[in-house]
Amino acid sequence: MNGLVVLDGCADDCTMSVCVVSEAHAVMPPLEQFMEVCFEERRELFYRDVERGDLVIGRINSVRDFGLFVTLLCTAGGLERNIEDLEIKALCPLRCVPSTGNHDDPLSYYQIGDLLRAGVKGIDRYHEKLTLSLYSSSLPPHLDKVKLGVISKEDLPLHYSRGEKVTADSSQTYEKLLESSLGLSNPLNVDYLLGKLGISDTQTPSLMRGLQSKHFKEDDFATAIRKKQSVSWALKCVKVGVGHFKSRRYVEAMNEYNKALEIDTNNVEALVARGALYATKGSLMKAIEDFELALENCPTHRNAKKYLCQTLVERGGQLEEEEKLVTAEGLYKRAILLDNTFQGAAEALAKLQLRIQKSLELKEQEAAKEQEKTKTVETSAEKLRKILKEEKRMKKKRKRSTSSSTSSDTSSTSSDDDSSTSRKKSKKRKHKRRRSSHGSKKHKRRASSCSDKMADDDIEWFPAPANTSASYIDQKQSISKLISEGEQSWEKSRCEDGRGRLDDAIDRSLENLKHGAQSETSRPGRPNVNGEVRDQHRTQSISECARNRRDSSSSTQSEYSQKSDRYSKEFSSQGRDRSESERGGNEKMDRGERNSHDKDDGRKSSGGSLKKDIPSNLLDIFSQIAEFEKEKKLQK
Amino acid sequence: MSRQASASGSVNEARGRRSAQDVEDSKTHFRVCRFIIEAGVKLGMRSVPMATACVLYHRFFQSASLQVYEPYLVAMSAIYLAGKVEEQHLRTRDIINVCHRYFHPESEPMELDGKFWELRDSIVQCELLVLRQLNFQVSFEHPHKYVLHYLLSVRSLLNRHAWSRTPIAETALAVLKDSYHGSVCVRHKPQHLALTSLYLALQTYGVQLPRGELEWWQVVCADITKAQIETIMSELLQLYDMEAKCT
Repeated sequence: MNGLVVLDGCADDCTMSVCVVSEAHAVMPPLEQFMEVCFEERRELFYRDVERGDLVIGRINSVRDFGLFVTLLCTAGGLERNIEDLEIKALCPLRCVPSTGNHDDPLSYYQIGDLLRAGVKGIDRYHEKLTLSLYSSSLPPHLDKVKLGVISKEDLPLHYSRGEKVTADSSQTYEKLLESSLGLSNPLNVDYLLGKLGISDTQTPSLMRGLQSKHFKEDDFATAIRKKQSVSWALKCVKVGVGHFKSRRYVEAMNEYNKALEIDTNNVEALVARGALYATKGSLMKAIEDFELALENCPTHRNAKKYLCQTLVERGGQLEEEEKLVTAEGLYKRAILLDNTFQGAAEALAKLQLRIQKSLELKEQEAAKEQEKTKTVETSAEKLRKILKEEKRMKKKRKRSTSSSTSSDTSSTSSDDDSSTSRKKSKKRKHKRRRSSHGSKKHKRRASSCSDKMADDDIEWFPAPANTSASYIDQKQSISKLISEGEQSWEKSRCEDGRGRLDDAIDRSLENLKHGAQSETSRPGRPNVNGEVRDQHRTQSISECARNRRDSSSSTQSEYSQKSDRYSKEFSSQGRDRSESERGGNEKMDRGERNSHDKDDGRKSSGGSLKKDIPSNLLDIFSQIAEFEKEKKLQK
Repeated sequence: MSRQASASGSVNEARGRRSAQDVEDSKTHFRVCRFIIEAGVKLGMRSVPMATACVLYHRFFQSASLQVYEPYLVAMSAIYLAGKVEEQHLRTRDIINVCHRYFHPESEPMELDGKFWELRDSIVQCELLVLRQLNFQVSFEHPHKYVLHYLLSVRSLLNRHAWSRTPIAETALAVLKDSYHGSVCVRHKPQHLALTSLYLALQTYGVQLPRGELEWWQVVCADITKAQIETIMSELLQLYDMEAKCT
């Protein structure tokens, strides 16, 4: 609508030259021209009214080395005056002429007679001098897209070209020109011009006292009345619909509700009633949609809230049956949020959460199983080195009697080697260990209530340096075994928590053992600690986990694992040998405590080494290990 | 439709012969036109459709008698018809709602009952009547586009700051809008009306325009004389007086 179409009928040669676009309104030459305002007055008015940032078009009449002299032809923006005959001269100084980029004298680009469009940069009204600039920065923001510089005749503004025609043809009056211009016939020119002048068309001003805007009340306007009317009509339909609903005529009821919603979309009552109908018929999702929409429009609608709660809970129930537990949980939570006095929702949520937990546990176990099956053994030299470093460190801090510990460790290692079927090499062993570890994890989870306490214990229990480290170094086979197991566990140890808890459980149980107290945990494995090994499986599992722990990446974990490992060794040895009773276990534990005394906060009091009863067939092995350890120590 | 019996009040007015009945009639017309304009504002009507509605009303009663036809019904039909003619379609439901509330302030919206449908029917019937009375010539030239073009031209004569200081455009348009209360809107050429309202606005603010060989209004409208401008101006100003008498 802003372009210009000028249908020029050139009377002389009867050709029509059509230039460009459409005219939103009739663009007229300056009124000054028609009024034939005199020269002096026009000149005076021009200099009074021209402002910086106005656009002017002129012809270059001389090119000097300090700039261009321009004779103004017409105005091009900001002012609309008839100035051609005024012969106003303006200067465009050199510094306001942009360079053309190829390092020539920028003025060489311009020639005498060129049409130039420039912005007014400075005015000296008193001396009637104008300074122009060819930089866009001299223009106001709304004009800065205009191209400054040399222009052609086609770019001359319409009011000027029309003005030229008027001077040429004196019979062209303002009226005639206006009537003949296309813009006058534009049906939307009133809207356009009102917009241009900044006046709103629906709130045109008036000078009548009674028509002032303050006398008009918002409620009297058509849209407001219509809205109220729609609401009341819709309510009538809803009432009829509810009547149908109560008499079980569901189809008619739905029709009425839909009619009501057509009359008044988002009518709250209609939405709630329709939602109730959907819920009764079983389309719970649609019901929920309707209730939510109703609540958006009217957040305090009691019935909407109530029904929505009920429907959410019902839907949650449905989802639960479809095993979409998480979604169901979300729904219950929302229901509670909406109305926390709704009993059904709270109960359902509690039940569901339990169920989720259980299913999560199951899933984890299965997942772990899967992962273990698919894991491949990796040997990492770095991990080994790290572990060995840890062990060496601990060794240095240790003060202990080596013999029994090492022997027991050795025995445990050897017992590991020699022990039951679950101790077979590689896969089967890992397999069984994994399974048993799952079992222990299961137990772990059920004992979650104790986990907090165990966590506390964790902090204070520092893992004993593994006495077995020496024996491990000695026995490469066992090391590689350990490492491989550790690697697996480390890689699959996403359930570090579980293992942590496991270790904690172990710690706790040992602590209890030490104090002679019954273990608090519900772990069936506990009685084993007390000397009755019923389930070798479990102990193996402990050792497995412990070992895994041992080789895990973090030092604490490795510490823990070492400790657990040691304990597990003790367990396993106990399991191995029923005669290794509580005392034996105590001894080992005490030893372990002694070994870790510098890290402990002294919870482990006793340090005496107890004589233990070990089968003679192991004694030899123990003694061997003990000797070796002594040698090692001497070496260090 | 007794054209002869009631010489139109506006004709008498123009000739200066005003009987008591004429005066009474013009008051009624004033009130009804006020009703049209108010309803137009509440319906969100633009200036041109509102002008068309008033012109339809005035033209109708130039040849019809107030005794025979209910003016408010004619007014409502005129609004409806004007919306159609000027492409700003209004729904009869909205027109009925607004007019009902005009006559019964603070009332509840109408029920969708028999009365409502009867009203709607009568509006539609009356619309046909208006069309026939006007020989189906319902498209008019309004002064609005002229006054806007004149405003642009006059604006070019003035200093931009002076222009922004004085609400010349708003005043001219207000005068134009108010002119529809009376039959002056149908008795003069739209260009003259436009010119006069602009002239009145400029005079109100004492704006000085440059002098040339011709006055600006002579340029804009070649065929108007100062006297004519003055006449129209006085008619316009009388409408403001009438407000006090009628409302």
